[in-house]
Amino acid sequence: MNAKHQLSALALAVTSVFATSVNADQTTRVNGMRDNTPSLVAIQNATITTEPGQSIVNATLVINNGKIVSVAKNGKVPAGAKVIDGTGYHIYPGFIDAYTDYGVEQAAQPDWSETPIYNNHREGGNAANDAIHAQQHWYTAFENTPDAAKKWIASGFTSVQTARLDGILQGYGTAVSLADKIANETIYQPTTRQFGSFDKGTSQQQYPTSLMGSIALVRQTLSDAQWYENAYGKEAYNGSVEFNAALDALKNIEQTGIVFKVEDEKSLLRADKVFDQFDVPAIYLASGYEYARLEQVKATDAELIVPVNFPAAPDVSGVDAYLDVDLAKLRHWERAPANPGMLANAGVDFALTLYGLDKADQFWPNVKKAMENGLTERQALAALTTIPAKIAGIEDKAGKLQQGYMADFVMAKGDLFKDGVIQSVWTQGQEIDLIPREQVDFAGEYTTDWSGNSLTLSVTAQPSFSGDVTLGDQSSKLRHLDSGIDQLSFVADLDVAGESGTWRFKLMQTAQNAAELVAVAPSGSEQRLALNYQATNKDEQAAEQAEPTFVSELTFPNVAYGQKGLPAREDVLIKNATVWTATDQGILENTDVLVRDGNFAAIGKNLSTPSGVREIDGTGMHLTPGIIDEHSHIAIDQGVNEGSEAVTSEVRIGDVINSDDIHIYRSLAGGTTMAQLLHGSANPIGGQAQVIKLRWGATGDVMKFDAAPASIKFALGENVKQSNWGDDMTIRYPQTRMGVETIIRDGFQAALEYQERKREYDRLSAAEKRKAAPPRPDYRLDALIEIMNSERFVHAHSYVASEILMLMQVAEDFGFTLDTFTHILEGYKVADEMAAHGASGSTFADWWAYKFEVYDAIPQNACLMHDRGVLTSINSDSEDLQRRLNTEAAKSVRYCGMEPHEALKMITINPAKQLKVDQYVGSIEKGKDADFVLWNHYPLSSYAQAQQTWINGRKFFDRELDKQRQAQVKQEKQALIQKVLAAGDAAKQGEQDAYKKEQPEWHCETQHDFWLDHFAAKSHSHGGH
Amino acid sequence: MKLLNKALTAALLSACAVTQSVAHDEVPGKKQAQPIVLQNGTLHTVTKGVLSQTDLLFADGKIVAIGQDLAVPADAQAIDISGQHVYPGVIAMDTTLGLNEIEAVRATRDADEVGDVTPEVAGHIAFNADSEVIPTVRYNGVAYAQVVPEGGMVSGQSSLMQLDGWNWQDALVTAEEGVHINWPRTYVVDTWWERRSAEEQRKANAEALQKLKQVFADAKAYYDAKRAGRDIPEDQRWEAMMGLFDDSKRLYVHAQDKRQLEQAIEVSQSYGFDLVLVGAYDAWRIADKLAELQIPVVFGSPFGLPMREDDGYDQAFSTPARLAEAGVNFAIAYPGYWDVRNLPFAAGNAVAYGLDAQQALKAITLKPAEFMGVADKLGSLEEGKQASIVVSKGDLLDPMGQSLTHMFINGRAVSLESRHTELYNKYQQKPARSE
Repeated sequence: MNAKHQLSALALAVTSVFATSVNADQTTRVNGMRDNTPSLVAIQNATITTEPGQSIVNATLVINNGKIVSVAKNGKVPAGAKVIDGTGYHIYPGFIDAYTDYGVEQAAQPDWSETPIYNNHREGGNAANDAIHAQQHWYTAFENTPDAAKKWIASGFTSVQTARLDGILQGYGTAVSLADKIANETIYQPTTRQFGSFDKGTSQQQYPTSLMGSIALVRQTLSDAQWYENAYGKEAYNGSVEFNAALDALKNIEQTGIVFKVEDEKSLLRADKVFDQFDVPAIYLASGYEYARLEQVKATDAELIVPVNFPAAPDVSGVDAYLDVDLAKLRHWERAPANPGMLANAGVDFALTLYGLDKADQFWPNVKKAMENGLTERQALAALTTIPAKIAGIEDKAGKLQQGYMADFVMAKGDLFKDGVIQSVWTQGQEIDLIPREQVDFAGEYTTDWSGNSLTLSVTAQPSFSGDVTLGDQSSKLRHLDSGIDQLSFVADLDVAGESGTWRFKLMQTAQNAAELVAVAPSGSEQRLALNYQATNKDEQAAEQAEPTFVSELTFPNVAYGQKGLPAREDVLIKNATVWTATDQGILENTDVLVRDGNFAAIGKNLSTPSGVREIDGTGMHLTPGIIDEHSHIAIDQGVNEGSEAVTSEVRIGDVINSDDIHIYRSLAGGTTMAQLLHGSANPIGGQAQVIKLRWGATGDVMKFDAAPASIKFALGENVKQSNWGDDMTIRYPQTRMGVETIIRDGFQAALEYQERKREYDRLSAAEKRKAAPPRPDYRLDALIEIMNSERFVHAHSYVASEILMLMQVAEDFGFTLDTFTHILEGYKVADEMAAHGASGSTFADWWAYKFEVYDAIPQNACLMHDRGVLTSINSDSEDLQRRLNTEAAKSVRYCGMEPHEALKMITINPAKQLKVDQYVGSIEKGKDADFVLWNHYPLSSYAQAQQTWINGRKFFDRELDKQRQAQVKQEKQALIQKVLAAGDAAKQGEQDAYKKEQPEWHCETQHDFWLDHFAAKSHSHGGH
Repeated sequence: MKLLNKALTAALLSACAVTQSVAHDEVPGKKQAQPIVLQNGTLHTVTKGVLSQTDLLFADGKIVAIGQDLAVPADAQAIDISGQHVYPGVIAMDTTLGLNEIEAVRATRDADEVGDVTPEVAGHIAFNADSEVIPTVRYNGVAYAQVVPEGGMVSGQSSLMQLDGWNWQDALVTAEEGVHINWPRTYVVDTWWERRSAEEQRKANAEALQKLKQVFADAKAYYDAKRAGRDIPEDQRWEAMMGLFDDSKRLYVHAQDKRQLEQAIEVSQSYGFDLVLVGAYDAWRIADKLAELQIPVVFGSPFGLPMREDDGYDQAFSTPARLAEAGVNFAIAYPGYWDVRNLPFAAGNAVAYGLDAQQALKAITLKPAEFMGVADKLGSLEEGKQASIVVSKGDLLDPMGQSLTHMFINGRAVSLESRHTELYNKYQQKPARSE
């Protein structure tokens, strides 16, 4: 059925239905005459699928008053029913789309404010953040919208779940019928589930500007809701607990659950951790990338709503176009249609949705594409009926065909999952014709004898009507074809019995194999011919299940240089290497290192090789500990700064690890095995940091080095006082180094008072607690308390001497030791003071002059700090430098004569100590993690090249293997390009904007509102360090 | 009004503060007064290989003799450099040295003129010989820098400066030696900061190229009119580009992508320009063509990250070796200003990834001299060339070796002190807290 025909038929459909409005006068007065047209209908002789896997042939479906009366094999037709012959028809339960914006007015884009907005407008007891609309119940805004319903009805949908899809907690959805009736009749389930996403949508409020900020906001809000349930109506330390409509509305979120939109499979896993923490059942609007981490997605046990917006192939037709196309995109183009099948076969329950499709008429072609790629008919039908019914909370009235359910169903000519087409869609017993049931199928071949010659008329209906006529040795194309319900007219040029010219014809079918042709000669005389008719044979095997074949690899992550799996742990003996121990042992020549069970088992000369241990000849090679980077911003998704409020200690880099980031692999290739991923430097009190091992191929959670104590980023100076943020960003406190001190101090003071209130509350008797509200758990202040308890350690972005002294003084006043000053380019000026306080320094080797506060930076900084007893390391803060920290460390040899082994310590054991993980990593010592690098040359030299990089006895980088991978990447890419080119126009079908966007190279100062940018509306972006 | 005044005053004050801090204390070297013999060093001549235990004599700013056991002229100063290494002064291409002082402070930036087509501006004019950055770059052996305007599409003209002078006139080696163009984009990207569709991007790319072609056409019309003796009013822009048409100036095209490089070659050939490609990340993809046409390439990504996700991690590192293998005529640059001091190490990194060490040295000395038309006097240790010499205790290209003991520019002994050494010295003297 072509789309054009379908839609025009749909436009007509309104007139062809029973004008049944069973409940119309329940509360609505009828003005004029009442409509009491009977609605009892029986459809006979159809094949009825009552639910996935259950089909009845020769079945009779009886409906009345918008509901199903009975479904039975050869069932009786009740007296007085309107009878429809369903011979040749398949009937399915009406489809349900569990993720739509149908009938609810969507949020308009606001006029974006030039000046930042930190606090929102308060009304109606709303939440303090404009991305939280939890108190909304969208049934209140729902109205029947027949025009909008068309795109669903055209694909066989009869009901949907809908909401205003805007913000982070979006309010409660509603489940409604697509029937053309007033909302009172079509609302199936007024309140279903909370909706949400990490995208703040049209909120103009600054917070959150990043994915980690959004996650933190969800976490805090859910926690607040738990608190509120207990606290409302009681007295807090500063008055009665306020009324808060949003928190109030979340009281039952553990029962209602949430339908949550995620951007990719990584965010699905992120969201699931948060919702698990609060026992909130979550259903995810999937991204189409779930296949890339299928095992983890399956492990969430969540139901999904899966779009079929398979991407159009990237343009690779130009000779150089491949330069702009990543292998990862080509892989996704090939693999995306297999996502539904892979999910189904992994046992993940999901519904299909129209959501995300630019062209709604691509829904069924794409469902069939998914079926060609592994999705079965039964799985597809479940994804359209029973599963979305459950998600939308209407499984007691929709999604199946059985007595008492709504008369919502789809009639298809033939098997819809093979070559059948939807003929009509019934909503609450109302029939909407997509194709009139009486529509004659003219396609086929018509023959007879005419005027002594044999006449053959061939008619094709797809994609539009066409055909030709042969008469003896004449032949002509049919022109001006015009199809009615039961007749087809056309013209053709023929010479019949001397009448030569354009003949006009009208074709009508008279019986199953017979037709009549009215022929009007050029002269105007009319003849009637009887024809034999043979319908075109349809290929019943059209959607035959075939094992899909792929030319692309599926790796972890699924990008170029991804891994087939985690490398195996190996027991190896590296023989005869020069071993830089990063311990008091110094550099050991001709030494062997035994690695067993992921640890260093022995270091010594002429070690014997235990059985089962592989030998690696280290002759001429240098072995060093894996490099550790105190300051990294690789592998972070969607924002390195929550650059909104000045204190954001609740946000966690650990929430947003980007395991797809190719810089992980590139850094491994430079010998780096561990990095502290830091929040940026936009805020005096920034976000929580995350130490990872660069386990390329693993998920973000597996990369985390759990033994590392918690840490957090602080920042001082130009960045936090917004010196280089542009003229609009000048209203946030602080704007001076004086204010930086006071806001940090106020943060700690607030945390102390909060802690005291919690203690006081704990001391209350049960009776007192009935009146007193518990202090609201505050993740922001919790982190500050951890700092003061020395359970979380501060890494402070800092440059100039004054602010370094200031922060140590604040730390001392609040009873903790500042762990590490990072950047610390003027550390050399206050090295003694740092040593006295116990602070360490992690610095750039030679950066300076990029802003005013680094004008006194000198490349001898590391030496001076080291010489004055400051534990010193060299960090990267750069995707580039993280690959070559060895020569960065060497600069202290160059500029100030540091002893080379001490220089190496600055990128191994010293940062390990700063991260407080030196009992595990950072040196070559028996019992420590076998994280090491084999170099082909003196490791601090320009000429050194990492040959192998190992983490816990697993080889994550190997230069020889990399050469093979480089060749494989080229080959695979070319094979995929060939596949795209071979697919021709079919490859261009699909969504134009359906690939993951490349993440930028984050720097400390990268400060922009990810969500605003996401909306292509407005951004504040600043590069630098 | 009051507010405005306050803002103005603040701006002026901060400008003053910066101006005060950008004049360094190092005194430029005095004209060579007596012959100097560097005795018993290892000479990296660039043109004649590595000569060990060799002497080098220079007088009146020029190299007079190279050989073993040279006779020391009566009035000469002899310096024993046994065990040390001698190199020609490094020549950094594609820098904004002297134009930029502090990146984030607008008042100290002079590299980026407003407008898309500004060929008339020239780097030496704003070159601050007293920049605090310059001595820190000399410290690592860089004696000369090409100073390049960097704004818009046609950025301006570069000048070659020596890095020890009282002012720009004193420091100038060659003014306006080439016109610099940032070649229009040829590629499309799919990132969240690019809001245009691929189609819109392609259209914009094509329009930009058309605009650039029009620049050449207009400049050519002006050149032709002038050459025909027509009396036309002066257009400073086209005046500045005249040299492209009579081959007295080079055309430096800054471009990375293969398609940009190919377009630049094609357009340049149609005018017969003296083309130099700068940046040239993708040069390896068209290495054979570049070798065949002998188009000079200033490779600008010796420490580069892969430009594309699918490129090997070492793509940029290994490109110089691939260019050498293919016979491409190339130099190595490390574009920027303060970080130009890492240029020798960048050349060293190319060695780690397969480039011959002698070629790496040539890529930061003689090749830049050739490309800028000063190879007759700079870029190698040869008799008759200017005595611009670096003496290091160890390998100049390796942080484990590099340690300068002397630098001479035109025979003048140049200070190796800098803001950095001075602050280092100062804070070494800071008493411990208890004192």
